[in-house]
Amino acid sequence: MAGLMVKRDVPFELYDVDILSADDEQLKGISSDMSLSLSLEEMRNIQEYFRKEGRNPTDVELQSLGQAWSEHCCYKSSKPILKEFVFGIDREDVLSKGDAGVMLFDDDYGYALRIESHNHPSAIEPYGGAATGIGGILRDVVCMGAQPIGLADPLCFGPIDKEVDLPQGIKSPRYLVNGVVSGIRDYGNRVGIPTITGGFFFDEKYTGNCLVNVACLGIVKRKDLANNFAGGPGEVMILIGGRTGRDGIHGVNFASTDLTSTSDEDSRGAVQLGDPITKEPVMHACFEVNAKHLITGMKDLGGGGLSCVVGEMALDAGCGADVDLEKVPLKEPGLAPWEIWVSESQERMMCTCKPENVEKVLEIFEMWDVLATPIARTTDLKRTRLFWNGEPIFDMDLEFLTGGPVYERPYILPETSSRSKEEFPELPGDKEVILSLLSDLNVASKEWAIRQYDHEVRAGTVVHPLVGEMNMAGPGDASVLMPVPGRFKGLAAAIGCNPWFTEADPYKGGKACIDETCRNLVAVGAKPNAFTDCLNFGNPEKPERLGEFREAVRGLGEIARELGIPIPSGNVSLYNEAPGGHHILPTPMILGCGLIDDVRKAVTADFKKAGSCVFLFGFTKDEMGGSLLFRKYGGKEGAVPDVDIPVLKRLMDELLQAMDEGIVLSCHDCSDGGLAVAIAEMCISGRVGAEIDLSGILMEDYRKKLYSESNSRWIVEVDGMNVTRFTEILGNDATLLGITKGDELRIKDVGISVPVLEMIEAWNSPMWKIMGGGAQ
Amino acid sequence: MKPEDVKVCVIRIEGTNCEDEMAGAFEMVGAKAEKVHLKQLLGQAPADMRRSLEDYDILAFPGGFSAGDYVRAGAIFAARIKAGIGSDLKRFIEEGKPVLGVCNGFQILVELGLLPAMEGTMSEVPTAALYNNDSGRFECRPTVLRNDNRGKCIFTSGIKSKQMLSIPSAHAEGKLMSMDPDFVQKLEDNDQIVFRYVCPDGSDAVYPWNPNGSPSDIAGICNPAGNVLGMMPHPERVMTRYTHADWTRNPGPAEGDGYRIFSSVIESLTRN
Amino acid sequence: MTKVEIRIELKKGVADPEGRNTQKTLESLGFTGISKVSTVKLFEIDMDMPAEQAKGVAEDMCRKLLANPVIQNYKISVS
Repeated sequence: MAGLMVKRDVPFELYDVDILSADDEQLKGISSDMSLSLSLEEMRNIQEYFRKEGRNPTDVELQSLGQAWSEHCCYKSSKPILKEFVFGIDREDVLSKGDAGVMLFDDDYGYALRIESHNHPSAIEPYGGAATGIGGILRDVVCMGAQPIGLADPLCFGPIDKEVDLPQGIKSPRYLVNGVVSGIRDYGNRVGIPTITGGFFFDEKYTGNCLVNVACLGIVKRKDLANNFAGGPGEVMILIGGRTGRDGIHGVNFASTDLTSTSDEDSRGAVQLGDPITKEPVMHACFEVNAKHLITGMKDLGGGGLSCVVGEMALDAGCGADVDLEKVPLKEPGLAPWEIWVSESQERMMCTCKPENVEKVLEIFEMWDVLATPIARTTDLKRTRLFWNGEPIFDMDLEFLTGGPVYERPYILPETSSRSKEEFPELPGDKEVILSLLSDLNVASKEWAIRQYDHEVRAGTVVHPLVGEMNMAGPGDASVLMPVPGRFKGLAAAIGCNPWFTEADPYKGGKACIDETCRNLVAVGAKPNAFTDCLNFGNPEKPERLGEFREAVRGLGEIARELGIPIPSGNVSLYNEAPGGHHILPTPMILGCGLIDDVRKAVTADFKKAGSCVFLFGFTKDEMGGSLLFRKYGGKEGAVPDVDIPVLKRLMDELLQAMDEGIVLSCHDCSDGGLAVAIAEMCISGRVGAEIDLSGILMEDYRKKLYSESNSRWIVEVDGMNVTRFTEILGNDATLLGITKGDELRIKDVGISVPVLEMIEAWNSPMWKIMGGGAQ
Repeated sequence: MKPEDVKVCVIRIEGTNCEDEMAGAFEMVGAKAEKVHLKQLLGQAPADMRRSLEDYDILAFPGGFSAGDYVRAGAIFAARIKAGIGSDLKRFIEEGKPVLGVCNGFQILVELGLLPAMEGTMSEVPTAALYNNDSGRFECRPTVLRNDNRGKCIFTSGIKSKQMLSIPSAHAEGKLMSMDPDFVQKLEDNDQIVFRYVCPDGSDAVYPWNPNGSPSDIAGICNPAGNVLGMMPHPERVMTRYTHADWTRNPGPAEGDGYRIFSSVIESLTRN
Repeated sequence: MTKVEIRIELKKGVADPEGRNTQKTLESLGFTGISKVSTVKLFEIDMDMPAEQAKGVAEDMCRKLLANPVIQNYKISVS
């Protein structure tokens, strides 16, 4: 390959790469030697382009293409499927589909939402990977002009409660959990944005490839809603924030290939280091220049660094850009132009402004001690051109550069789990089952992590992630914020995901993820308003994996469309496979946002008192496929819970009506572990027992009544004096189960009783015991 | 003076992050609060943005991670203030003007030598430290405080003695330490102890109700003159009932438990 | 130029949660036989002055910023 790289006679590192004369083998060699992660076919396209240009590319140009054409940047495998099923669910209250989606909040404000993955970096360096994930998602919200108001971090790891065989180069799940939680804590807490919700999913299939998804919500005055592109030609591009270094080079290519056993050593350079204390003034300064309307657009430097942001900001405005690359402030001298161009150093943003406002913009950044440097101008030519002290080093058509390939890759539809082949497992006594489900790490308390995150900073957290008596709290469904000081209008946020359903039946699983998100939002009294999704799947070049992806996306697109709820932002993370090709569970992670007109009507999941009536709301079916019970006790197959979308809609409306009338004391959704776990959790957080009877549920096997995880169900507590009105609203959709009473959960008709204190211990202690904690 | 004449300086540098709600809390009790970057007080800002400490009636240090808490929590902010406006600040306090530090703000006041300041307004080197929680972790959780001040502290002048307030904590370094074996006794003798952590039933706090292991469950102290208060928990986060962690099961007045701390100081300043 | 190394360590008897947590994490990675992990902070400062003077300045730096005497000791070494 050496012979194909010709150093240009200039006083800096620049190579012309002779691809015009390269044969297929040499093209492949160039791609791999330069870590471009481009296929032969893609290299041939590039060769063809430069043949038309009549010259060879520079190393800067090839590196730039490697970034722009990565799966991470151009969604080449996923785009056709997303287009078919989830794009285009429009509603008039979608204010923007930029770097973050923005939805109407009230007459004056919009709220921003976005989720993305930071999986591969976190698998290599959990602390830095998670921290920079938070940094990136915050910037996506900031560049909409929105003040971040809440973070949410759903995480998936291998089991931490048993020893697992770790393939070469794979870190122990316990170590990863500790590192990721510390990274989220240190970054989120330092930057002063509350971490309000999240989730932990444990399964052996995540051992080799953990998932770190990060989401952020923001609030923006409608008049300050920012664009992510320039205002037109003749503007100045100002690079803001951190200096550029070698950290994070080739991050996107890294995210678009499977992890290998040597990823550990090879890819250290691909994990960036974050600096929350730079981020904080960067945010302030960006808000100030935006609120003063001194800038025309803002965009964050994420995957691909400058190479992506410059072109996108220009092209979306119908322009091109001329860049003086030598002006980029560096962390260390001696970076080659291509390194500067593709570096993913953290804490950087780009803004565009009219030439006459440059001075004012720079003055504001100076005031905040934030580095800001004009480095480029927009032009009326749709090309990106780079210069190094005047020497042209890059000149490419923007549409070619950002166009990228799109693939209709082959897929195989997965076999799904069915009721006819169901094998119901042998179970121990029900008391033991209930306690053991409560202490399963997918159910048990996450207080160990939650209390390390500041979930109250900004003083707007109304419904907290833990609910119930202070310091003895149980699990909540969704968190609720009061984003605008002095106004009681609320924004609720909840995570919904069931990777086990999705593995057993991707289509139903995709629907169930949205159903769960809706259940969580409605459980606190919020009307679901928008979703953002992070689709974590395996290698799309394997037809089985792409089939899972396609079916899951079909499911979630169908339900979102029928509910009429838009998905104004999202992210796809493919190639989540461990060394040896072990793929993760297909994991469509949904963050849902809901609106609540008056937060003072919000409802929490803790039983409020003894002597009130307990209802099951919704319908329990024989749907054991993918259930926690089956996973724990070795059940096989079974029908995966489906969603009857019109019924879900009706139930949500009825429940929200009852909540609006103030007659719901507490409410909790039924998810992992079914009805049994849901009621147990309400007893735990409410420190009161319940006495119930399952005979109102029409099914034969009481164990299916207890542990089936049918969708669209809630447990609701209602004061006796409001029962008449409650049943008027909910009609036959609600089934009276019994009353809150005493200090045990008693299921009378089948003779089960479990003391609340034992349930508290079972639910509360597992994660503390494993991760360590308490005062020592 | 009327409440709206009371000018509050909410001071910040990079990494300060609770300034919005701190300013909001003072505004809720009727004062005029301004978020001021230290550079504005040091003259390192465009002319129209420069500010002077003496123009304010109250100074508030909000929470956060000033300068990343590098070196030690609050140390860098304290050193910059001392070098730049140390004498202005000393004069401000000696005129009896109130100073509040919450969380990182408390850490800054200790690093500045403004608390406990048993001898003189501002000690040259810190005479106390806010050190890592016994748990070794950041602790974000509800805490219950008891007003143990006997009347000296201006920020509790409108709060009944021994009244309990539910005010949440969120910090990793909140354990008050001193080299003086009689430290707690001296604070007690000087009426410098303002808040102690207690259990919800009023009994002595045990972990997690004392989230950091502070001796004698001390959550907040004032200077001997009573006009400088530092506390680890965040009163500005509970200005309304609806941000209390347990409001859905323990309803109370719409006013949150932090409200009285802010209204007390404004009432004292506007009484005459 | 004088190279000054300032080592900030916790006073005896001051608990070291960071050290303790680090120890636990090391153990979770499979390292055994660790009896204690202590955290210290090290500042390297280059000064354009003679060693004797630099030592005095470093002393002052410790008092004014780098160490809190309530919990920390410092050691200055000059080379």
